[in-house]
Amino acid sequence: MTRALVATLGLVLALRVSASGTVRVLAKDPKGAPVADAVAFVEALDAPAPVHPPADPVAIVQKDQEFVPYVTPIVVGTRVSFPNKDTVQHHVYSVSPAKKFEIPLYIGESSATILFDRPGPVTLGCNIHDWMVAYVYVLATPYFAKTGADGVADIAGLPPGRYTLELWHPRLAARVDRQITIEASGDTVQEVSVTLRPDRRIRRAPESDGAGYR
Amino acid sequence: MPQFRRFGTRLLLLIAGVVAAAQVADYLLVVRANRRNAIDRIHENLAKGAALFSRRVDARLLELSGRAALMSDDYSIRQLFLKDQPDPATVRSALRSYSVRMGVPFMTLISTEGARIGDTGGPLPEAALRPFEDLVQTAAAADDPKATAFARLPSTSEDGKVFALLVVPIYAPKPEIVAWIGLALPIDHRFAEELKSDAQVEVTFYYGTGETMVPVESTLPGAAGPRSAADLAESAVKTANVSGEPYVTAYRPLLPLVTHGRAAIALQRSLGAELAPSLPLERFLLVLLIASLVAAALVAAVLARNMSRPLRSLADHTRVIAGGDYLTRLEVTRADEIGQLATAFNQMSEGLAERDRVRDLLDKNVSPEVAAQLMRDGGALGGEEREVTVLFVDLRSFTRLSESLPPRDVLHLLNRYFDRMSSIVETQHGIVDKYIGDAIMAIFGAPVARDDHADCAIRAALGMPSALAGLNTELATEGRQTLSFGIGINTSRIIAGNIGSSRRLNYSVVGDGVNVAARLQDLTRMSQFRADILVSASTLTSAKRRYRVRDLGAAPVRGRDEPVGIFAVDGEE
Repeated sequence: MTRALVATLGLVLALRVSASGTVRVLAKDPKGAPVADAVAFVEALDAPAPVHPPADPVAIVQKDQEFVPYVTPIVVGTRVSFPNKDTVQHHVYSVSPAKKFEIPLYIGESSATILFDRPGPVTLGCNIHDWMVAYVYVLATPYFAKTGADGVADIAGLPPGRYTLELWHPRLAARVDRQITIEASGDTVQEVSVTLRPDRRIRRAPESDGAGYR
Repeated sequence: MPQFRRFGTRLLLLIAGVVAAAQVADYLLVVRANRRNAIDRIHENLAKGAALFSRRVDARLLELSGRAALMSDDYSIRQLFLKDQPDPATVRSALRSYSVRMGVPFMTLISTEGARIGDTGGPLPEAALRPFEDLVQTAAAADDPKATAFARLPSTSEDGKVFALLVVPIYAPKPEIVAWIGLALPIDHRFAEELKSDAQVEVTFYYGTGETMVPVESTLPGAAGPRSAADLAESAVKTANVSGEPYVTAYRPLLPLVTHGRAAIALQRSLGAELAPSLPLERFLLVLLIASLVAAALVAAVLARNMSRPLRSLADHTRVIAGGDYLTRLEVTRADEIGQLATAFNQMSEGLAERDRVRDLLDKNVSPEVAAQLMRDGGALGGEEREVTVLFVDLRSFTRLSESLPPRDVLHLLNRYFDRMSSIVETQHGIVDKYIGDAIMAIFGAPVARDDHADCAIRAALGMPSALAGLNTELATEGRQTLSFGIGINTSRIIAGNIGSSRRLNYSVVGDGVNVAARLQDLTRMSQFRADILVSASTLTSAKRRYRVRDLGAAPVRGRDEPVGIFAVDGEE
């Protein structure tokens, strides 16, 4: 209710005053439902901020014949590992322009880590299991966050200045971005309306059914 | 309407006409129903054929899209996309390999941007790809990213063929589309032949870009001609001659069509072939029609004869009756109306004969003039006053004669005598009023009035002696006694008319003048007159002619105050 009120009024609230600001992004679909698994990121317009990939690889696990997590935002130069915690082999691949790769059939911890060196969306699939799908969104900015089930993503540590706020989602129907300004005095809440295409993921039938997949 | 003189002709025409109308109507109705049934059956077949065509195309495309989906999920096809720039030769050979697996002559791979990644080459050159690119746009916008359409490929070439196109996505993985597979299913002669054998209809595929559409493929070789584009724009059923034989044709546009122009399928079925099973029935009906017409004509002729023959004999008999023959009778051989009519005719003849007999008797009992008047006036009582001349003639000494003869001979002698005298009276336009014993009373000037009644009476009297002389000669020859008579004639105004009761009456005259005539006849016996013929002065006054007479003076008459002038007549002057 409170959130709806906030949305209706379109209020921009200053929550905290410090040297750096935080943008709270509220991602909603046109009906007002929260949108999860959206990558919210800002890019500085005044002075580009350098990215620092983490030293350790980010893990995208295959468990119960699904990729976890479904969406993984990383910065350019990040390495990703694909540990297989299932008892069956997987064959991870991507033919996306930002990163084309494959890790042939394996089980357990794969020795290989994949370096994502170009920005852009990367779709992961498994050659064995058609329904397995996951996304890596490779960013050229250090300021990003992923919305949770409540559609909220907090991007913290932003120096005051002008930014472009953008949202990405695997089913994004059209690019969503806007220009925002971070004041020295406080944080902002950005409510962003996101239109998604229908979810066309293959629905996985129960194993016991044996009827296959639709 | 013409009037036929003969009843038979009319009956013949009526019966034959009714039978002909019924039979012809029957025949035409059957022919029409057969034709309508045939056309309905053809329509049904054509609709089934059209539905079968759609189903076959849809089923084939569905099957192909299933196979393409399998192909798109194939590991090896993804291998092509793991490279930044797929090797064109490898893509082509891979697609050829897939096209063999799927049984389609042509395949192409199109990027999500609509650019061609590769194709199988072969029957379709690069120029044929444009329709696929258009179709990718349609498929990408669809809920279920897939699209089918008809196209003429290559669309720029004159000898292009009609294909059913299909584009399905390649997922890596679903729902991420990395490229599209395009397939072309030829709607060719083989397709047409298969459709023909399954649906029992002739199949022609049309294509055209301008005003006319030409057959691209047909199971009716050389028979299907160009059609106007307007004809094939919508689904329609038409009947038209193909090689002189009527065909019912159902046109269905092939939609959607992604190339320029129009494509249509024409399903045809021969009306003659469809009607063939009902032809024997129609021929049988025709024979039945003619046979029943002939039978009706024969029956009508017999009926007419049966009707007109008795009618004609009735007509002939009517003429016989009109001719005065009342004795001939019609033979009555039947009990129906005509028989009743004949009986009525016979009864009428009998009635007429009866009347004739009565008339004859009347003529004999009264004079013809009186009989005619009775027939005319119906014998009403009453009379009129008029001037007539009455003549009495009486045999002398007949009482004595009759005593010496048997009664039969007397009667015979009298009749001979009366016959001759009466004949003279009638010759002189008089009537015998009555026979009184051996006397005759005759009247002149009634009932038919005449001016010369006095002359007629005198002339009759003058004629009678010679007639009697003739009879006397015969009697003398027979050795019998001869006869002599006296005649008295008087003219006066008397009452003439039917005298008597309403049950029995006589035409006669009454009056004083009758007695005068009788009296004059009596006077002839008197020796002082010595004359056979005595007339009164009034008769001589009334007569228009002149006669040789002798004035015998006046004689008193009973019942009269004044004596009557009497003259003896010796002859004409």
